[in-house]
Amino acid sequence: MGSMRIKAKEKNGIVEVKTMFKHDMTTYNQAEKKTGDRENANFITHISGTVNGKTVIDMSTSQFLSKNPIITFGFRGKKGDELTLTWVDRKGETDTDTEKIK
Amino acid sequence: MDRRNFLSITLGSLALAAIPASVKAEDFRKSKPAVWTAHTIEDAIANMYGSKKLEMTDEIKLSVANVSSTDTKKKATAANGGAVPVDFKTDANVKNIAVLQDANPESAVMVIDCNEFSVNDYGIKIKMGKPGKVVIVAETTDGRLIGVQQDVDVALGGCEG
Repeated sequence: MGSMRIKAKEKNGIVEVKTMFKHDMTTYNQAEKKTGDRENANFITHISGTVNGKTVIDMSTSQFLSKNPIITFGFRGKKGDELTLTWVDRKGETDTDTEKIK
Repeated sequence: MDRRNFLSITLGSLALAAIPASVKAEDFRKSKPAVWTAHTIEDAIANMYGSKKLEMTDEIKLSVANVSSTDTKKKATAANGGAVPVDFKTDANVKNIAVLQDANPESAVMVIDCNEFSVNDYGIKIKMGKPGKVVIVAETTDGRLIGVQQDVDVALGGCEG
């Protein structure tokens, strides 16, 4: 099962993307409270997206994005191309998914 | 480069072949580590942008909990501090955009590295452990530092939730 949902729709040369990442986004404080060790914090630290091998979105992120973060963004692109999104978290886990732009 | 390694592992050899030259993105957690441990908005900005003067402007539009920062009659109130909607956009030519707040132990939420494809219109949801302010800062391609801020009341803390 993929950890993300991607919706990408083009209108007038601009692709509007709505995406949801399944991730607990555990903060240092939450980790300390639940496990006694701040180092158990785990959250997405980087999200990037490419179309035809070119980076169209690139975000460095922290523990203060909500749990299961929902992010909307836009980029210049066209219908029919494929958007590939990848995230990586603090523990080094990663997932990637591709969606055709509608 | 770390970034290239990371992509080659995750996307495999197919992506690796497509990546050289086209990826110019910056991982700000690696290039500016002090931004992410800064406890105040001021420190985060200083670590990200140095001593550059921040100019508060309406070039960036910010809306928190669906209340626009330009609407001075209404104060933003977030019902759930675990997921406060933050929407921001700008038509200015910017190199990067940082989302900061002072309602959590550390200030930085995200830094976006902009590129020629960017349409700078974003919507995210953030945690706010207590009432505070959200600040969006962007560095323009001509070297200015522009920002916008909004105070937010939080009905229920997000960090414990």
